[in-house]
Amino acid sequence: MSIQFKTIRELREMLDEKAISSEELTNETHKLAEDLKELNCFVTMNKDASIEKAKLIDQADKTDSVLSGIPLAQKDLFCTEGLRTTCSSKILSNFIPPYTATAVMKLENAGSITIGKTNMDEFAMGSSNETSYFGNVHNPWKKGYVPGGSSGGSAAAVAAGIVPAATGTDTGGSIRQPAAHCGITGIKPTYGRVSRWGMIAFASSLDQAGPLARSAEDCAILLNEMSGHDSKDTTSLDIESTDLLNSINQPIKGLKIGIVKEFSLGDLDSEVQNRFEDSKKLYETLGAEFVEISLPNISASVPTYYSIAPAECSSNLSRFDGVRFGYRAENTGDLNDLYIKSRSEGFGDEVKRRILIGTYALSAGYYDAYYKKAQQVRRLIKNDFALAFESIDLIMTPTSPGTAFAFGSKGTQNPIELYLEDLFTISSNLAGLPAISIPHGNVNSMPAGLQLIGNFLREDQILNAAHIFQQNSAFHLDKPSMEEF
Amino acid sequence: MDQETVRTICYLARLQIDEDKAQKIENELETIIEMIGGLQAFNTENIQPLYSPLEKTAFMHEDIEKSDNQKEKFLQNAAASNEDYFLVPRVVE
Repeated sequence: MSIQFKTIRELREMLDEKAISSEELTNETHKLAEDLKELNCFVTMNKDASIEKAKLIDQADKTDSVLSGIPLAQKDLFCTEGLRTTCSSKILSNFIPPYTATAVMKLENAGSITIGKTNMDEFAMGSSNETSYFGNVHNPWKKGYVPGGSSGGSAAAVAAGIVPAATGTDTGGSIRQPAAHCGITGIKPTYGRVSRWGMIAFASSLDQAGPLARSAEDCAILLNEMSGHDSKDTTSLDIESTDLLNSINQPIKGLKIGIVKEFSLGDLDSEVQNRFEDSKKLYETLGAEFVEISLPNISASVPTYYSIAPAECSSNLSRFDGVRFGYRAENTGDLNDLYIKSRSEGFGDEVKRRILIGTYALSAGYYDAYYKKAQQVRRLIKNDFALAFESIDLIMTPTSPGTAFAFGSKGTQNPIELYLEDLFTISSNLAGLPAISIPHGNVNSMPAGLQLIGNFLREDQILNAAHIFQQNSAFHLDKPSMEEF
Repeated sequence: MDQETVRTICYLARLQIDEDKAQKIENELETIIEMIGGLQAFNTENIQPLYSPLEKTAFMHEDIEKSDNQKEKFLQNAAASNEDYFLVPRVVE
């Protein structure tokens, strides 16, 4: 019985009915990953340990969690004890973490099985997965096309049906944009909802972990487990967790959805607009109401992000110096030379570019003009959202201005071209708001994503709206043919 | 952004840029800085910076003494170490 393209729910039923054992499921998952290794979605496999765990689960023969015995893939940015964690960078290519990230630990404690670590943009800096030291990931829908980024390996592994779900992280769209480009569902939770402990930091005030899966329901299952207070992360919210599965399947009659007038959707590809209008109509038939809203400072999102994120990255990545862990250059002179050579040989071009921008923005004489100014504008953006949410329940936008593109076709001459991929996703990271991307049909034979942004801590509302959409459409059931792989 | 500024930033970040890529990186940095410069058009008079979306004070936890020596584990990832320390080139003559 094939396990490819199965959801968590479907695999759970197979396990419960003893149609398959956890060990068989884990072996089949590894076989699929091996058969599809040309996709390049994994950096490191966890074969022996995952099979051992599956055997133990079979022996225990009790199911106290929906995730028990379910194979998952983890973005290679989460530290996993004893299992290599590279962040897709040469500088961490030999790093074996001494501990496991809280988000992964929670999923593993719920019985899920980590089958491997997924490829990504180096240190999560990119929107196409083309900055990985371990090479490009192919989009399962079309060979030679990007899966999006930075969680491109996770998105491709789910879209190709190797695993039912995977973890990702989102600093400016890194869960939602690859989910959109690969035709799957991905949610970035409210900042503080999921512990960042053990996540290798890129931009600490923007990073947030979340799931990518084949449906909103499966995302709710994973997020239920990943969420919760963690005393090891000072930004982790100490709030009571709600069961998100109980929140989905609620009627959406009267739901007020905001359309942002400043996003000028009329400038987008006509097919992108058509998909958006179709989804709007579907929501209207389900009883939702649309309201035009204004976010007057939203045009500042991209420059604000590209001041704050590099500044935080330049500070966070100063720890990689070739001394305590990671790559150390050979033939170095004094200590300073060791730092410079190890970092220069260990980091790729995009990471260096962002470190330099951040160093500049934080340096004496420029701090107020760039970093502080960006944080002030960030407050204006957050205030705009707060005002808008006084009269609406959620905001709807396309996830990305376009669909997946060919390797090397964007950003090679001007990096800003690629930065604009995140035009619609960045603002929710700046404001700390939850947002989900769901597939809503194809544009030029490639999947397109629809984004729903929720108010602070209202994951229940966006997951419900996404689930209702999926109960009344079949876009999330579309699968790539995989004939090219 | 002139070459001298780029050299200073590179030194502050402890990064070296290959000669053949220097001009390209200089141009890219210039383009990005120009884009960020667009923020000056936004009026932020009397607006406090928002350094974290949560705006909450870090919580305090009890100061409990714990003996959790994992020295051996941590030293394993170092490129050079002895049984007690990370090793680096000599810094004091």
